[in-house]
Amino acid sequence: MNLKEYIASGIIESYVMGLASETERAEFEQMCAQHPELVAERRKFEESLETYASEQAVRPPTEVKAKILKAIITMESSTKLRGIGLLRFVAAAAVILFIGMVVLYYQVNQQNKELANTNKELLDKVNADEVTINKIKREVSIPNTTIISMVGTKRAPQSAANVYWDSTNSNVYLMVTNMPQLPSDKQYQLWALIDKTQKSLGVFDATDQNIILKMDSTKKAQAFAITIEKRGGKPHPTLDSLTTMGKIELTQ
Amino acid sequence: MGMPITYTEQELVSALKERDNQAFAFLYDHYAGALYSIIRQIITDNSELAGDVLQEVFINIWRKIESYDQTKGRLFTWMLNIARNASIDTLRSKSYQNAQKNQELPENVYKGASNQTTQQNVDNIGLKKVIEKLKPEHRVLVELAYFKGFTHEEIAEMLTIPLGTVKTRIRNALLQLREYLK
Repeated sequence: MNLKEYIASGIIESYVMGLASETERAEFEQMCAQHPELVAERRKFEESLETYASEQAVRPPTEVKAKILKAIITMESSTKLRGIGLLRFVAAAAVILFIGMVVLYYQVNQQNKELANTNKELLDKVNADEVTINKIKREVSIPNTTIISMVGTKRAPQSAANVYWDSTNSNVYLMVTNMPQLPSDKQYQLWALIDKTQKSLGVFDATDQNIILKMDSTKKAQAFAITIEKRGGKPHPTLDSLTTMGKIELTQ
Repeated sequence: MGMPITYTEQELVSALKERDNQAFAFLYDHYAGALYSIIRQIITDNSELAGDVLQEVFINIWRKIESYDQTKGRLFTWMLNIARNASIDTLRSKSYQNAQKNQELPENVYKGASNQTTQQNVDNIGLKKVIEKLKPEHRVLVELAYFKGFTHEEIAEMLTIPLGTVKTRIRNALLQLREYLK
């Protein structure tokens, strides 16, 4: 088929009016690319179709234009948002936020654990102290308990401690109120003075401040004394290092 | 008030591809009537629905303008085909078919005319007016293919005519149409 016959076959009109098959369309487009005169013929028909259609125009309902313009303005703004990659931005922000929250959660969790541990330690200490205090209260409430205020000697004038001694059951408690820190190889030692001899009632540290310690028992005592000894204590006191002493006011 | 803006087709296409609202308004003002006309020639009995289709067509033009290829045809040809396809899709939609049934209108595709007397006689406008001049056996085929959207194969089956004959007759009818449009 030569070009003239092709043009006269009605393919142009069929193509322009949308009645050609897929194969026919593809073939026609390929022919157009090769033959400018075919394109010219196509344009002629398109122009006459357009002219006729314009002559035969029907006025559409007036509200349609406003509706369309409104719709495209809405579409345009959503297209612009897509243009700057809104989704990508939101996704990135969400990832950063998520990571931030994980880190924060981890930190808060760690802090919580630390606080819980500290709380438990404090609670344990309070409970232990309460047990001791209750014990003391029971002891002290007994009329036979003697409270001996021990005051500092010239060697350690700031030193202070109280001894609670129950003469009926021989229990001895010590509360350190202010004893100076010692080198780590030294400890304080409590003594009961009995008929010019000294009986050891045990050792303690300055760090045991403001808590009540149960010391060894003694049936008899005319006075109590505290010396500084090497860690673990000694069978006999080093009187040079006597820091604190208290006499029993009551006569036995 | 400024001078009314006019565009060459090339300028109009470029402006539309750049999403120029003013160009789009110009496009509407110049082509809405012609496109509404083709919609009314296909959806003959419901001007409100035809208005909805026109709206859909212009929104599709706006959305698809990027895909318009000038080497394949004029802008109007492209828009006319969008309008025709949208109208035929509406005609074939379930909701439209149901509405038709409820109205119980007598349908006569062979004649291509109904006995309705609507506010505006749209049966005799545009291409419909031209195809009235065709030989009856040609007119039926153009009516079914162009205004009802049936494929050549469907028409061949419906009218029990060989496919080759359907093709030849439609081609001849369109060549005839071209002569009338000149």
